[in-house]
Amino acid sequence: MFLAWREIKHSKLRYLLIGLIIMLIAWLVFFLSGLANGLSTANGASIQSMKADYVVFDKNSSVSMLRSLLPDSMVDEIKKTPGVKDAAPLGQLTVSIAKVNDEEQVDATILATEPNSFLVPKINEGTSFHNDSNEIILDDSFKSYGYAIGDQLKIIQSDKVLKVVGFVSNQAYNHMPVLFMDIQHWQTLKFPTEQSKSGIENPVSVIAVQKDSDFNKDILNQISNIDVVTKNTALQNLPGYSAESLSVNMMLFFLFIIAAFVLAVFFYVITLQKSNQFGVLKAIGANTAFLSKNLIMQVLIVTAIGILVGVVLTYGIASVIPEKVPFALDNLTVAIYSLLLLVIALLGTILSLGRIAKIDALQAIGRVE
Amino acid sequence: MEKLMINQVSKVYGEKESSVKALDSVSLNVKEGEFIAVVGPSGSGKTSLLAIVGALLKPTQGSIKLNGIEMKGLTSSQLTKIRMNQIGFILQSSNLIPYLTAKDQLLLLSHMAGNNGREYRNRAEELLSNLGLAHRMNHYPEALSGGEKQRVAIARALMNNPDIILADEPTASLDTQRGREVVQMLVKEVKTRKKAAIMVTHDERMLDLCDRIMRMTDGKLTELRA
Ligand SMILES: Nc1ncnc2c1ncn2[C@@H]1O[C@H](COP(=O)(O)OP(=O)(O)OP(=O)(O)O)[C@@H](O)[C@H]1O
Ligand SMILES: [Mg+2]
Repeated sequence: MFLAWREIKHSKLRYLLIGLIIMLIAWLVFFLSGLANGLSTANGASIQSMKADYVVFDKNSSVSMLRSLLPDSMVDEIKKTPGVKDAAPLGQLTVSIAKVNDEEQVDATILATEPNSFLVPKINEGTSFHNDSNEIILDDSFKSYGYAIGDQLKIIQSDKVLKVVGFVSNQAYNHMPVLFMDIQHWQTLKFPTEQSKSGIENPVSVIAVQKDSDFNKDILNQISNIDVVTKNTALQNLPGYSAESLSVNMMLFFLFIIAAFVLAVFFYVITLQKSNQFGVLKAIGANTAFLSKNLIMQVLIVTAIGILVGVVLTYGIASVIPEKVPFALDNLTVAIYSLLLLVIALLGTILSLGRIAKIDALQAIGRVE
Repeated sequence: MEKLMINQVSKVYGEKESSVKALDSVSLNVKEGEFIAVVGPSGSGKTSLLAIVGALLKPTQGSIKLNGIEMKGLTSSQLTKIRMNQIGFILQSSNLIPYLTAKDQLLLLSHMAGNNGREYRNRAEELLSNLGLAHRMNHYPEALSGGEKQRVAIARALMNNPDIILADEPTASLDTQRGREVVQMLVKEVKTRKKAAIMVTHDERMLDLCDRIMRMTDGKLTELRA
């Protein structure tokens, strides 16, 4: 500590520059992770936040909500299966909607279920929808389009009219805001003709399952022609979901590698420059442990400050970012990535520590500063 | 009482054809309170001798006893401790740490020995004042003249109250007046605190202050005047 802080104070510019690089890397890491988080939220928030443990798909659907069709009667069959606490049907449909007497269209995802099922999110404003009605509840983001309780909306594809009765928050599916409605009403939208039901009576898209402590996936899977997957698997199988998070995570991964190299090289070059000085220090009685501790302290001080400023910068920018940008910071992720950067910086010092251990006190003799 | 016993020490640098014999069976005993000067032409092995006595370099042959302790068998961490507590090394070039003020150069020594306190700050200030640096205590090396740097290095060597002072041309960058004062101060330190000192010098005018004068030629040490 004696040397670490004094040197930073004396060579302000040098350490400021390193701190700046660390800050920029940290900022980039946090920004990318915010973007990754925002993208996956925009894609799967509604699935992620639903209070279900498993999702039952039609066996031939390849875990696609778009293709999956199951008879409504199966909900009761699943409910009776041992280990199942509750089950609820879920219907999905992508539509464009507009206010009656207004041309501005908004793309949205309809998620439909039974009025009192566990799939209905907490209502922020207004009431829930009722059985077999054209009532809907909207995600908060619809408010930015000027939608309010009591509004009449039309579905462009079918000229059916819907009535807004409530609002919920943070509901998104496939990068579109979500509106919730009753499953029976949804069936009239999704299957306007008998033919489109493919011979299934009262079809629904999938069935969400809440498990009990004695749940056994294999027992549930014995029902013919279904595929039981965890909620997380259902999430990963959303269109584009894995691809999006994979590409951003790849960027993050490489960023961490680059950070490791940049920091390791920085401190190594500084250590090389100072090898004569380390020789002098060893000649007057400093041991390798003392010098190593000082280097580690310096790296910790500079990296921690750099990361901290990076965090502040990230949250600052996050607060002014336009709402349409899918950006969502997760405090836990920021904390974990901060720690990871710190660990990477410390790993990078191993190279320099090896160098310090090798420096000979004899180097101090007969040399000019 | 012998503080330092150098017995038949030889040093060979390099291997076979390119080898250089820097020290050739050098023997020298230094008593408590004795101040020894070593003179000799450039390249004769003076610095090599100091480096070996200062535990920076291992002799090819021979033995060194410091305070009666044989240094041959010691581990490198034991040697580092000895350098910190028992040896005050004044290097040929002052070799200060660029980012420490004159006072911190000294305090680093006591800090490494685990001593942090008012008394050590007082000691550092006293040492610097004695060397005429009272007004330079909070200056960085870049703001000091060559002679001032050299005096800080001397003060640093005395900071941990070492048993043996090894000085490699400590007065080279000082004028005669200053040079004499510094050597006188070193002599006083050696006499009053019962240390031993070896000083390499080219400066004939300092020799009258020393107890014994040795000459180094081609790695051989001979006594000029006792
Ligand atoms: N690391 C080394 N490797 C090889 N030879 C060396 C090394 N250090 C010193 N020598 C050689 O050993 C001999 C003695 O060197 P030393 O530095 O002890 O001389 P010196 O008496 O201190 O000279 P000066 O008065 O110029 O400082 C020289 O011939 C030198 O070239
Ligand atoms: Mg020399």
